[in-house]
Amino acid sequence: MKTKSLMWIALFALLMATLLSACAGGSQTSTNWHGFSADAERAYLSNGSFVFAIDLKNGAQIWQYPPEADSKLMFYAAPVLTEDGQLLVGSAGSNHALFSLDPASGKENWAAPFAKNKGGWIASPLSLNGVIYAPNTDGFLYILDAQGNESAPAVELGGALWSAPTVNGDNLYVSSLDHHLHILNLANPADFQKVDLGGALPSSATPAQDGVYVSSFSSKVTRVTADGSMRTVAEAKNWIWGAPILDDETLYYADLSGNIVSLNLKDEQVNWNTAQSGDSIIGSLLFQNGQIYAALESGSLIALDKDGKLVWEKTVGGKIYTAPIAANDLILVAPYQADFALAAYDALGKQAWTFTPKK
Amino acid sequence: MWELIIIQPMTNLLLWIYDALGHGPHMFGLAIILFTVLIRAITWPLNASQVKGAQAMQELQNDKEWQDIQKKYAKDREKLAQEQMRIYKERNINPFASCLPTLIQFPIIIGLYQSIIRALSVAPLDMLKLARTMYSFQNAQNIIPLNSKFLWMDLGRPESIQILGFALPTLAVVVALTTYVQSKLTMPASTNPNDQSAMMSSQMSIMMPLMLGWFALNFASGIAVYFITSNLLGIIQYAATGRANWSGLLPGGGKKTSGKK
Repeated sequence: MKTKSLMWIALFALLMATLLSACAGGSQTSTNWHGFSADAERAYLSNGSFVFAIDLKNGAQIWQYPPEADSKLMFYAAPVLTEDGQLLVGSAGSNHALFSLDPASGKENWAAPFAKNKGGWIASPLSLNGVIYAPNTDGFLYILDAQGNESAPAVELGGALWSAPTVNGDNLYVSSLDHHLHILNLANPADFQKVDLGGALPSSATPAQDGVYVSSFSSKVTRVTADGSMRTVAEAKNWIWGAPILDDETLYYADLSGNIVSLNLKDEQVNWNTAQSGDSIIGSLLFQNGQIYAALESGSLIALDKDGKLVWEKTVGGKIYTAPIAANDLILVAPYQADFALAAYDALGKQAWTFTPKK
Repeated sequence: MWELIIIQPMTNLLLWIYDALGHGPHMFGLAIILFTVLIRAITWPLNASQVKGAQAMQELQNDKEWQDIQKKYAKDREKLAQEQMRIYKERNINPFASCLPTLIQFPIIIGLYQSIIRALSVAPLDMLKLARTMYSFQNAQNIIPLNSKFLWMDLGRPESIQILGFALPTLAVVVALTTYVQSKLTMPASTNPNDQSAMMSSQMSIMMPLMLGWFALNFASGIAVYFITSNLLGIIQYAATGRANWSGLLPGGGKKTSGKK
């Protein structure tokens, strides 16, 4: 009886631990979509416990970091290249370190631990003139030198910071989920003003003349100038997750209902609005060589011309939440829960290669 | 199905309470407490029947007729089962009455944990799921993101307090203590040295606090707030029946010198 009852208790504990752990996130499988970036030679992909460097020519893996899986690391944020040749990426796992890697070899240059009560990294940092501005989920903007040491006191902005800062002129614009866009003076970041946009801001601001455009969960695109004044330039039918993109006097944005909108900034009139029926667009759009690329949540990549006409549509697979990016002549897209983690397409929509992390 | 009947209603109820409280700092923790009170109120009759069922089963272990049939039919399991069923029927005891409320707790605990994690949206994918979980009447734009601060805790992370450079898991200790107190109070005294039920209860009163303490140590502190609230309400509910075994809290306590019947 004793053995039997102990067995039941152990079974109950195991069941509870398994079920609760399943919601808390595994050690190697990413519980969020992948962040990625690229330079002229390589793509850099944050994928679960690893960061991968992938050869743009053929999709082959060049290196992975760390060499062996570490259950405390979880990479969501897009890796960022600095002017002095470092690759920066932060972990959102129980180890909150911010890492500097050698982009050629994947070797660790340094790791800033960000232990204790500091949060994880969902946002990519911004490297500017040898200073690293790193927004954290704990609501602080950390300011580091190129060796990962805090060179100035962290600035408490509030809310969770999920997107990279945007620099424009003398100011840094930092979006927060607490509904505020923060405008910091680069010379004195502690001196900042904040603008309430009425909804969470999950993505970066888009630089424009004397200010930025920013989208939010208030389903609006808002123009905010350096002095903190704001004006709504467009209202969408649903939340806008991705950052708007700017091409001269035209602003493009997409919402969670799958609407892609072209807005003429001269008169703030809609040029065109094309809906992807029953689909959602989470990531930002990409404007490249006269075409607009959109990744649909259902797993397709579409290319539109400047008049909103569909040029091509390709089924990538899985679900796509992140924005496509351009690298050399390729368009890269990172599907989630697909057979592969990264795919490259040419401008005509022909798949060049796919990358699948080794198990 | 799990999503539709457990996660969505629970998440929306939590968010509705949070919004009704003004969705400011500390309000999500308060929402979890009120949610637990609500769940406890709904399951009050079940918990009462659990207590009653456990008491009846325990008393049965000390019953002379019950002990006699255990001895008499020790080598005939089929006959023993028949006799046991006869006694259950005669005394109107449901042997499963004490299990049902515990079983009901499972989906609540797991569903609550998933709802807390989703509501707090620590990652963008969670946020997207949250947006799609919310019923149309919810004020999503204003509620999101939730404020995860409650007292000194971040409800989305395991709790600890830094004292002299050490991270002390105070909440995990409180969870273990309250679970221990609750299980000891509800464990009636037994005089039968071969009382298997009492032995199992005794093991449970050690294992459960350790297990729930471990959960509180490793998972989001929001779940620990649920455990503590639920335990305290359980203690109050049991104390209100006037049958709480307070002596059982002390070492060597909980053993009567004379039995029943």
